[in-house]
Amino acid sequence: VAGTEVAGGTRPRERARTGRARRAGPPGAQARQDARTGLALVTPALLFVSIFTLFPLGFSVYMSLTNWPLVGSYRFIGLSNYQSLAHNTLFVESIVFTLKYTAIVTLPILAVGYGLALLVRSNRPGSTLFRTLVFLPFIVGLVTESYMAVVELQPSSGTVNFVLARFGIVKDTTAWLVHTGLAVTAICVLVVWFASGLTMMLLMAGMQAIPGELYESARVDGASWWSAERSITLPLLRRSIALSLIISVVGSFLAFNQFYIMTQGGPGTSTTSVVMAIVNTGFTQFNVGLASAMSVVLVIVVGLITFAQFHFLQRDGD
Amino acid sequence: MPAVRSRAGGPAAAGTSRRVASGARAGARTRGAGAGRAAGRGRTARGGLAWYLIGGVAVSAVFVLPLGWEVIRSFQPESAIGVPLSGKSLRHLTIANYHSLLAGQDNIARNVINSLIVAVLAALVTALVATLAGYGFAQFRFRGSPVAFGLVLLAFMVPFQAVLTPLFVEMHFLRLLNSLIGLALFYTAFNLPFGVYVMRNSFLQVPRELVDAAKVDGASVMGTLTSVLRPLIVPGIATTALYAFLFSWTEFLAALIFMTNDSLFTLPVALINVEAGNYGAINYGLLLAGAVIAMIPCVVVYVALQRFYVRGLVSGALKG
Repeated sequence: VAGTEVAGGTRPRERARTGRARRAGPPGAQARQDARTGLALVTPALLFVSIFTLFPLGFSVYMSLTNWPLVGSYRFIGLSNYQSLAHNTLFVESIVFTLKYTAIVTLPILAVGYGLALLVRSNRPGSTLFRTLVFLPFIVGLVTESYMAVVELQPSSGTVNFVLARFGIVKDTTAWLVHTGLAVTAICVLVVWFASGLTMMLLMAGMQAIPGELYESARVDGASWWSAERSITLPLLRRSIALSLIISVVGSFLAFNQFYIMTQGGPGTSTTSVVMAIVNTGFTQFNVGLASAMSVVLVIVVGLITFAQFHFLQRDGD
Repeated sequence: MPAVRSRAGGPAAAGTSRRVASGARAGARTRGAGAGRAAGRGRTARGGLAWYLIGGVAVSAVFVLPLGWEVIRSFQPESAIGVPLSGKSLRHLTIANYHSLLAGQDNIARNVINSLIVAVLAALVTALVATLAGYGFAQFRFRGSPVAFGLVLLAFMVPFQAVLTPLFVEMHFLRLLNSLIGLALFYTAFNLPFGVYVMRNSFLQVPRELVDAAKVDGASVMGTLTSVLRPLIVPGIATTALYAFLFSWTEFLAALIFMTNDSLFTLPVALINVEAGNYGAINYGLLLAGAVIAMIPCVVVYVALQRFYVRGLVSGALKG
């Protein structure tokens, strides 16, 4: 939906351009030549995207209607994969867990990211350096940091217990990754630390796009810092906030790495995310048809979130 | 000054320093009435800046110190990582972990090279294909162009995590499983929508007169691209390649699914074996050394090419 709109938006300008260019040669021939060249230039990209993204998208719907094993023959079984999803404890529980996890991390990421954006948006000395440093955890990536966290969350030897025990918060022997509550707590703190730098960058870009004159005139009118933030920054930042929210919500919904590395979905299946449930069903139990049905549900949910985002943006935009 | 230091002790909330600064400014205004406006303002500006720097350093430390600490830890001998921390154990630092990781029997060096091959290949192919497509979408009119661009944007919204099963079957059919090139091609495809978007914007900003002049001079389509347009689109290419490299270097799930042969694992996946103790007892020294090696290219590439990274973020953020 958004795609055609963006492309359509540029059309008048392009038409004007080609109109000018066309005068150089014989009218029809030049345009035909341009059309052939343009198509040839975009074909490799279209092939890549079709083969590795668009075809699998359609193929997953097809597979979800079969009892596809990883290798071997299959047959159509209609919607029974979808019917069995409702009774699939692994899937249902993974959805509940992923929703809870998303609910826990989303607001802290936004709040911390917003605070960080306030810090780095100014042009004062040091702001660029602070921005770079705060963003580093996001650049390094959650996979690497999950491995580090595994080492540092070990009872008796990890740095986390060493530090927290000094403040009397936990015992030195706390085994973070074998208790569901502790493991989720640790992972959520790690994720907020990892992801708030991205929210900071997105909100900072939005803040810097707000004309400085608005703040100047607010100051002339005697508005306090707080009221300027509330009446200028917040309203004009709604698009950026929506975008960063959607990126973080979709990211949380697709979470896999941190759980796979730090808890393997356990204890039991208590920290199994939706993507992990799909991977287990498809690649451990070799029930690819059922895993595809789960995938289709996930695509729809993520699509709805994204659509809601664009709806929100378009209503407020421009 | 002592008050300043006690403030900085805690991880000051980012907003605090800003609020403190504006508070100081308000104070200056009332004081300025008696003691000369300019002098008062200069003094508080300096005070505000000091507060700002202290707050900024404290906040930055929260995000950087853990990473720096892991670098130090990775130089501790394995025997010191598995036991309670002590100041004494930090005096003996050694490269033993790196040595046994890269030269030992598990041969993680091979996995590091795998990761480099995949990430560099994906970055190059993404940059090339995205540049061609951006050129085509921005500078040429052809039937179906809006639809084609719409398809690319549609792909932008499809999370690959949700199409893993059909991808696995398809890559099996194409003989691309257990292949570094296959993984690089998949990473290319995943990074292309963003790349095409960035490159199309780059080409749209090129003045039309330049292209027309090249045409009048008889330059071919590709000649125009490589001679006239090249300097103008290099920032876009750098942005595209940088994103593809960082994504491919840190990607975990697809590499885990598409590779079943240990010797073809990328570094992030190979570290699962280290974590699980597949090479004997669990060795946290090896794990930390591997994590630090995984971290280095990200930090180096990002710090060196930061403006291109931020450029990509901002263009994505402001244009939706």
